[in-house]
Amino acid sequence: MAPPAQSHRSPSPSQPSGKGEVSDLKSQLRQLAGSRAPGVDDSKRELFKKVISYMTIGIDVSSLFGEMVMCSATSDIVLKKMCYLYVGNYAKVNPDLALLTINFLQRDCKDQDPMIRGLALRSLCSLRVANLVEYLVGPLGSGLKDSNSYVRMVAVIGVLKLYHISSSTCMDADFPAILKHLMLNDPDTQVLANCLSALQEIWTAEASKSEEASRERDALLSKPVIYYLLNRIKEFSEWPQCLVLELVAKYVPSDSNEIFDIMNLLEDRLQHANGAVVLATIKVFLQLTLSMTDVHQQVYERIKAPLLTLVSSGSPEQSYAVLSHLHLLVMRAPVLFSSDYKHFYCQYNESFYVKKLKLEMLTVVANESNTYEIVTELCEYAANVDIPIARESIRAVGKIALQQYDVNAIVDRLLQFLEMEKDYVTAETLVLVKDLLRKYPQWSQDCIAVVGNISSKNVQEPKAKAALIWMLGEYSQDMQDAPYILESLAENWDDEHSPEVRLHLLTAVMKCFFKRPPETQKALGAALAAGLGDFHQDVHDRALFYYRLLQFNVSTAERVVNPPKQAVSVFADSQSSEIKDRIFDEFNSLSVVYQKIIVFQCSRSRPMTRTSS
Amino acid sequence: MISQFFVLSQRGDNIVFRDYRGEVQKGSTEIFFRKVKFWKEEGQDEAQAPPVFNVDGVNYFHVKVAGLLFVATTRVNISPSLVLELLQRIARVIKDYLGVLSEDSLRKNFVLVYELLDEVIDFGYVQSTSTEVLKSYIFNEPIAVDAARLPPLGPAAIFMQGSKRMPGTAVTKSVIANEPAGRKREEIFVDIIEKISVTFSSSGYILTSEIDGTIQMKSYLTGNPEIRVALNEELNIGRGSGSLYDYRSSTGSGAVILDDCNFHESVRLDSFDVDRTLSLVPPDGEFPVMNYRMTQEFKPPFRVNALIEEAGNLRAEVTIKIRAEFPSNITANTIVVQMPLPKYTTRATFELDRGAAGQTADFKEANKKLEWSLKKIVGGSEHTLRAKLTFLQETHGNITKESGPVSMTFIIPMHNASGLQVKYLQIAKKSSTYNPYRWVRYVTQANSYVARL
Repeated sequence: MAPPAQSHRSPSPSQPSGKGEVSDLKSQLRQLAGSRAPGVDDSKRELFKKVISYMTIGIDVSSLFGEMVMCSATSDIVLKKMCYLYVGNYAKVNPDLALLTINFLQRDCKDQDPMIRGLALRSLCSLRVANLVEYLVGPLGSGLKDSNSYVRMVAVIGVLKLYHISSSTCMDADFPAILKHLMLNDPDTQVLANCLSALQEIWTAEASKSEEASRERDALLSKPVIYYLLNRIKEFSEWPQCLVLELVAKYVPSDSNEIFDIMNLLEDRLQHANGAVVLATIKVFLQLTLSMTDVHQQVYERIKAPLLTLVSSGSPEQSYAVLSHLHLLVMRAPVLFSSDYKHFYCQYNESFYVKKLKLEMLTVVANESNTYEIVTELCEYAANVDIPIARESIRAVGKIALQQYDVNAIVDRLLQFLEMEKDYVTAETLVLVKDLLRKYPQWSQDCIAVVGNISSKNVQEPKAKAALIWMLGEYSQDMQDAPYILESLAENWDDEHSPEVRLHLLTAVMKCFFKRPPETQKALGAALAAGLGDFHQDVHDRALFYYRLLQFNVSTAERVVNPPKQAVSVFADSQSSEIKDRIFDEFNSLSVVYQKIIVFQCSRSRPMTRTSS
Repeated sequence: MISQFFVLSQRGDNIVFRDYRGEVQKGSTEIFFRKVKFWKEEGQDEAQAPPVFNVDGVNYFHVKVAGLLFVATTRVNISPSLVLELLQRIARVIKDYLGVLSEDSLRKNFVLVYELLDEVIDFGYVQSTSTEVLKSYIFNEPIAVDAARLPPLGPAAIFMQGSKRMPGTAVTKSVIANEPAGRKREEIFVDIIEKISVTFSSSGYILTSEIDGTIQMKSYLTGNPEIRVALNEELNIGRGSGSLYDYRSSTGSGAVILDDCNFHESVRLDSFDVDRTLSLVPPDGEFPVMNYRMTQEFKPPFRVNALIEEAGNLRAEVTIKIRAEFPSNITANTIVVQMPLPKYTTRATFELDRGAAGQTADFKEANKKLEWSLKKIVGGSEHTLRAKLTFLQETHGNITKESGPVSMTFIIPMHNASGLQVKYLQIAKKSSTYNPYRWVRYVTQANSYVARL
């Protein structure tokens, strides 16, 4: 191949880099550009490698653009590829210079070797320069008709690239129609898969602009297209299979026969070693059977084993992604997983995020028959040296207690936690005991006996301290020392840094006062005085309010501050069922891992929105 | 689809970076690395970043392979499994081509890696991850890294490379490397790798046990002949509903009962139900033929007993006993036993078996852990470690709640706990002189091997 004409042109006018290495490379490249000496390709390779390595580590080598293009006249495919990579990276910031590359890329698009045709076409479409799109249409058109599937494969994605640079050029050339034809007729499955990807993206983006596009988008979900793809699914490699399955999950079959046909056809996909294929298949099964309760339940039974196998094979990262989906299913239908609880036991070498998911699953699957074993296991974790997991485990025990009718044994375990005398264990347990008492006031005797032994000096965490103070106020008639403990807390008002605790302290002193007035008088005085002088607005306001209330009438104050309470029956769920359903609809997506709904965004800079949880 | 792919070293250096769609701003590698390095979880100072997270609308996926971070970014709500599988697969393809996956080999071969990346993904869409298919598009030749720094290719050492969870490097030669002698050695490797998880209660009773196994294959056979792999005839795969733990009751008959398994896409199961053979035309490169999971009762290779007792005011004694319950012609290696000690422990002195060659015991002051390492354990033998602990303060409450559990890691070459076997490996090639090397190797590893106090 002769060196191109521009080899003697003056170097690129772009800014001097200021870096010695880059200008060094520049002069070396220029020397080699015109040379046809033997072995020159090897020296070029070395230089190109250097350029690419600078590019990788973030050094700006765009000033070499002219020289790189000059050197690209070669038949050496390794050199060509490096040059394409370079050009693809910098053409966007050097649109004028990119024009220089069009010439040789277009020529390469007509090369005899299909490999070169494909590579050149890919690079041509990757330039991302808007004013060069006119040069793309011709090569793309012939690429789509190429006899070689590699070139067609590249051309199809090329159409999508063109669409992103200039959608009107792409639509005017009627490329989507050609892709649609290829999708339904091409013998090569990768060409087909690329057509599907490209059309999905194009029609989705166009749908807002034209009704026809929106019809075309829906046509991808029509019975003929879906059946055509399903019938060929076994020819596809694993990645396009995911693509097709994703599409099938959105298809609405006309009757139950159709549903069973599809499920029977896809049944063996559940044995695939690729977790993405299995999850995509599961999504199809779950979506198709949503309205058939019995079958839907059978699907749960069927997918359990494959999911568990995926969780335990593969890398920790892959197993986390699958576990997140298992977690979603367990949360939706805990009853169906209640006999599988042992699979959710934590292993010591698992990471925090995996253990956390497992603890949540253990919590929801607990029922009358397995609670004992689950709680025993959780108690092991509570004693663990891994503090965050120990805390989570204690909370899990508490949640199980709150959802069970027979809490007898669990309360005992919780109280044993308090005897372990570890600060964080005590803290977590106090919070739980408080919640338990709000739901099961009948346990107060047992709990109070143990809680009464805890010195408030050993409780530092605000939440735990607030819980302890709440209990002192609520059960002051049963706790001998309550007024005196409260008194000493009130006297050391300034040592308490958390406003939450101070608020609780005010209320507790009030409650205690109503039950044991003579003993609490001193504490009350101290607390109100300190509260009135508190710099925190809420604390101050509450103290003032209590003060006025007492001034007005003590029995009214009691009715306001300490009315008879009903036991709490259900604690509010943190997430609404509507959000949970929407996450379920987005099975096999990031929504499941984040446990949030993600609003799909095409635009570049807007952050993901998050619905309240 | 994904937007970018990059590989970072442990220090956060960019080794490879490819932007496929230009939708994510520059600097994503720094944002990612900072986030991973300083990940914060509620109530935790130091935490491990999850494999998927979102920063300012960009989703970052990463997997750790051979000490490197393989990362992908995207702005769309994509299947996380798909991206994480893809990252893992890219790592495997790169390893197939370079022979060895390390920072050094990547740096030396980054042009080849870019070549691969261009063919694996186009505009964010996966094109192919098959080592076989990619071969025709790759023109660079791999530059071998210094193999001397790698452990020798002994029977066990081979299995020790790579990450702990995914072992099984068949050999460290590239699928496209030219042999010095000019001719390729005809060989095929089939590795049966099992990871064992067992939890012993304080009284030595087995609370849970599971085997996660993989049959891994790497073929260097020319002409891609069909291969038949025969497994145990008495092999049952638990299907249908009901608790998987129900199978526990049916032991002893010698039958291997798997809870479940899955297969590589090249595997044909036409006669699997009849005679338990898998037939496949192995593609180039390393790949798992079959993954399986078993909760049927099996004999754990090690029994572990651990005891901690107070011995006076500021002292306690720890005794850890391990017994190897596998045949004496088998030897386990690189055994490490760890036990967290009470956090007020200041000193520990150790007493090892008499003549305990290749054993060391250590007190890791920083994280208050006891660590006992043994180079080898011969089947049938028993080893004991005694430790005397000194405390800073008086113990209060129950000392067993302040320490443990004991965890153990080991590798046992040529042993598998499940009993799953490759009975024969048939290579369909019509020539009497054709007799390639067939390597069928077993190895058992600890995954989570724990004894409670």
